[in-house]
Amino acid sequence: MYAIKAEDLSKTFRVKVKEKGMKGSVRAILHPQVKEIQAVDNVSFSVEEGEMLAFIGPNGAGKSTTIKMLTGILYPDSGKVDVLGIDPTKNRKQLAYCIGTVFGQKEQLWTHLTPYDNFRFFGAIYDLTDKETEMRIAELKECFELGAFINTPVRNLSLGQRIRCELVASLIHRPRVLFLDEPTIGLDPVVKENIRELIHQMNRDYHTTIFLTSHDVGDIEKLCRRIIIVNAGQIVLDDSMEHLKKCYLEKENVHSSPLSLEDIIMDIYRAERRATGE
Amino acid sequence: MNRCMKKGMPGQLRQQGYGEMCRVPGRKYAVIYRAVLMENMQYAANIAMGFFSYFVFIFIFIKLWEYIYRTPGELIAGYTKEQMIWYVMMTEMIWFGSNTGAVARQVTADIRGGNIAYLMNKPYHYALYILAKYTGEWSIRLPMYALLAAVIGAAMVGAVPGFRLVTLPVMILCVVLGVTINAVFKICISLFSFWIEDATPFQWLYDKLILVVGTVFPIEIFPVSLQPLFKLTPIYTVCYGPAKLIVDFRAEKCIEILSVQVLYLAAGCALMFLVYRKGVKKLYVNGG
Repeated sequence: MYAIKAEDLSKTFRVKVKEKGMKGSVRAILHPQVKEIQAVDNVSFSVEEGEMLAFIGPNGAGKSTTIKMLTGILYPDSGKVDVLGIDPTKNRKQLAYCIGTVFGQKEQLWTHLTPYDNFRFFGAIYDLTDKETEMRIAELKECFELGAFINTPVRNLSLGQRIRCELVASLIHRPRVLFLDEPTIGLDPVVKENIRELIHQMNRDYHTTIFLTSHDVGDIEKLCRRIIIVNAGQIVLDDSMEHLKKCYLEKENVHSSPLSLEDIIMDIYRAERRATGE
Repeated sequence: MNRCMKKGMPGQLRQQGYGEMCRVPGRKYAVIYRAVLMENMQYAANIAMGFFSYFVFIFIFIKLWEYIYRTPGELIAGYTKEQMIWYVMMTEMIWFGSNTGAVARQVTADIRGGNIAYLMNKPYHYALYILAKYTGEWSIRLPMYALLAAVIGAAMVGAVPGFRLVTLPVMILCVVLGVTINAVFKICISLFSFWIEDATPFQWLYDKLILVVGTVFPIEIFPVSLQPLFKLTPIYTVCYGPAKLIVDFRAEKCIEILSVQVLYLAAGCALMFLVYRKGVKKLYVNGG
């Protein structure tokens, strides 16, 4: 069964253009000019329930815009989105009960509250009873090893501890799909590894569908079995990790050492940049 | 009846084993309110720093009105000197006590900076989330300023003319409604950031209108021809109405002001939901 289905998804942004210098600023007031940027261009894909998918691409490729359309934050210009049988453009609130989001660069936790108070807060936001919230906190506290700092205000936590708490806050309502946008950004290698293990555990224990975007090849390699690469708003590759590595093994002959996943991804990015003339 | 039970839960979620739900209307907004209240309690000392500005402002107005009212018992626009000073103290108390960041800056900043994207993907209404946050903010500030106003007033002006303790609950209700109406209209203005780049200049205009007409001077001070016009604006319900009731409580005036406030709040909320529903489709957030 599909957890996510996107068909011919497109989104265009209108961006103001200003010429350089004072003259340009004055001209921009008198004759404002805008240019259209095709952020997402006829993107179609589907994700099975319980799948762990890496949705990657260079900066400005349209990854975050796609996530925002999948979660109902942005309205697509054209195309259809279906997440767990719900149309995000029509039932964003209903969808919010079934999905979780973690944005590594944005915090959703209330920094003056302790993680425990935050989890109680999010439990109430997701309409869980106090008893149900307590049960989930106890379960996730153990799983994510939060015992030592669950009663410390979030502002006093380390980045790694905070990200663990962000994940728990996103899981308190037991979402069926979890959108992770660079969840390990800025973390040291040991903490990164812990977070990856926890994401893996969530997928294994709760059959949570994971939709991951990351620039960290380690996240992709260790977590995902399938990879979608986007560039200039279009899908340039949609393949299983296994197949991708197998195909690129042939290239080892021309390289002095075996190709890593990072080399493969870099190769694809470079080829795409050449093709799009960037 | 316990409303926290499974039968109120949407069928689809129940099938998915979502867990036991508690769908009490407004519960999540009460939780947001509580979280902000807890946060603001930690900053009570910072709030008290604003007392100095309030005191200076009120001191100037006390001296100004003492100079203007030359003879005892003189009436200006129907107000005695004590009523006039208490009127300014009350409107300034509402102004200082409710002038917080949530509605004044946060909505515009959220829309311009794209932070709204991370607040919208929760199962609450963004505008009501802001309103709950705002209520949490003024719930600490306003009582602090009310206490300060009472102390300054009692020490420098004397008791509020004709004040009866029995009317206090309805006065508080009137102030709360006024502050909420103000927030709803400010949210509406901020939501225009969905279409224009920055709604701050419109906020500034609205604030100055409220400040000059209705806060610093009562409506009766202005030309008779303008007064009906002012009574149609939010000024009547936000600051003039509550302050007028405090300095000159009359039952018929109280019913009139409360009725207008309820109408204004209903119309303001309808407008806020409409602007949000239309605006959110125009949301422009690119980049991670």
